[in-house]
Amino acid sequence: MSYTGSSNPEYVNARVRSRRSQLYDEEEYRKLTRMGPAEIARYMEESEYEEEINALGSRYSGVDLVEYALNRNLAKQFHDVLRWSDGRLYQFVVRYLQKFDAWNIKTVIRGIYADVDKQSVDDDLIRAGEFDDRRLDQLVEAGTIEEVVNRLDGTMFGDPLAEAYEDYEETGVLVPLENAVDRAFYENLLEGLTFDEASADYRDFLRAEIDFRNARNALRLARSGADIDPAEYYIEGGKLFSASELSTLASNPDELVNRLRESSYGDDLSGALDDLEEANSLIGFERALEAALLEYSRNLGNVHPLSVAPVVSYILAKEREVENIRAIARGREAGLSEDEIEDELVIL
Amino acid sequence: MAEDVKPTRKNLMAIEDRIELSERGHDTLEQKRDGLIMEFMDILDQAQDVRAELEADYEEAQRKINMARAMEGDVAVRGAASALQEHPEITTQSKNIMGVVVPQIESSRVKKTLDQRGYGLLGTSARIDEAAEAYEELLESIILAAEVETAMKKMLEEIETTKRRVNALEFKLLPELYENQEYIEQKLEEQEREEIFRLKKIKGKKEEEEKEAREAEMKEADKAAAKEPGAVADD
Repeated sequence: MSYTGSSNPEYVNARVRSRRSQLYDEEEYRKLTRMGPAEIARYMEESEYEEEINALGSRYSGVDLVEYALNRNLAKQFHDVLRWSDGRLYQFVVRYLQKFDAWNIKTVIRGIYADVDKQSVDDDLIRAGEFDDRRLDQLVEAGTIEEVVNRLDGTMFGDPLAEAYEDYEETGVLVPLENAVDRAFYENLLEGLTFDEASADYRDFLRAEIDFRNARNALRLARSGADIDPAEYYIEGGKLFSASELSTLASNPDELVNRLRESSYGDDLSGALDDLEEANSLIGFERALEAALLEYSRNLGNVHPLSVAPVVSYILAKEREVENIRAIARGREAGLSEDEIEDELVIL
Repeated sequence: MAEDVKPTRKNLMAIEDRIELSERGHDTLEQKRDGLIMEFMDILDQAQDVRAELEADYEEAQRKINMARAMEGDVAVRGAASALQEHPEITTQSKNIMGVVVPQIESSRVKKTLDQRGYGLLGTSARIDEAAEAYEELLESIILAAEVETAMKKMLEEIETTKRRVNALEFKLLPELYENQEYIEQKLEEQEREEIFRLKKIKGKKEEEEKEAREAEMKEADKAAAKEPGAVADD
């Protein structure tokens, strides 16, 4: 687990392959959709989630137990991946997993802002990023948002947060801080990395993620009617849009959809774009984008088995498993029908 | 009670005045009650629509938040919710419907744009937007329902009060006044009859006394006349 040393994709891929084989398959999801929350927790207890369910079983019950166990298992799995990785592979993987650092920073800031007790904030953290327990505990212990910003000095979130803190002081809302954290994560994804032939496809995958995020945000802004320049929310690093193009396209969502249709993502997203035009809802579109990314990463893993791709593919697949199980449990709790739940799942 | 009233002409006049006033009040209150009922029926229709809309909005908001919690996780939804501390503002004014003061609720900052909801745009999804939007719509429906249903409740209270007043006038006060009026009129007539009878009696007695006096006079005169022929003989 370090930035130094030689990259060890062979070793990590072998371990990841074994972990991947433990992921739930379609048949297991089908079984879960017929169970209640308590049965789902019981079913998980008999699989790789045993340790987490047992550890959290005395504190939580029902769907909350399922959700916290999923988050804790996710953190453990990703922590293992980071522990195994060295050198360039570690760099690639850690940059992707820093999204959990971003998540944790936002959770801490929101906790302080809403005056939530420290234990609840700590429970909501997903310790799957680069930050170690010590740093995360320090953040949780911070009494003010300013203290959090100061304690992040020296990390990739430090400067953007310090800059956004002034806006926060002026406006009193968390938007500038949250956007600064997410922007720092996205813009750091590709920053300073060099790609060889095998990892070039991984770069395309990251670009696709940024493009999709830009497209989603532009469409959300267009629909909300807010008087905001989409360029303010533009993330550098994608290949499909420039900031000015996105500003123009956001005022004309049909044009934006056409642009996506004509792009290299068009074939993968055509169904979702049709739904978007017909149903006028972004939710199905977002689901399709996630499915497209998942499919893309899996294909990458098959094409370049000795690169970072299988690792990232596993990370995405694991995240998707967590989301699917959580969707089933929460869906069952909310009384959604089996068909409705199955429609929401993304299974490859 | 009619027996408690002094059967005097003055009281009769006062009661007649009160009857006139009460009858006028009764007619006015009846008109007010009918008017209020008509207004109430309009508000009732509106309240039924608003309530149906509120229920639909609630269902929709629940469905959307359930979907958001299912797909994004409870932690993410709670996190996004805690990023907002600015509460909507509600101001109440009042308006007058047929003398009934009903509230008029104005709300501001209920519906928010994406940048006013507190959570960052880059790390959240359309599911959270839609759940937030659905709850904003629900809140607007609740405020409208509060206005309409409070107006309805106040109108209903006023109708009840007016109805009680109309009934009190119609079935209690006016019958009592009519009874008193009749009682006094009967008493006064009786007194009049008694007075006539008494006067007749007095007149009869007086006539009798006069007759007796005349007879006595006549007797005196006769006596005097009887004495006078003797005096003439002496002459």
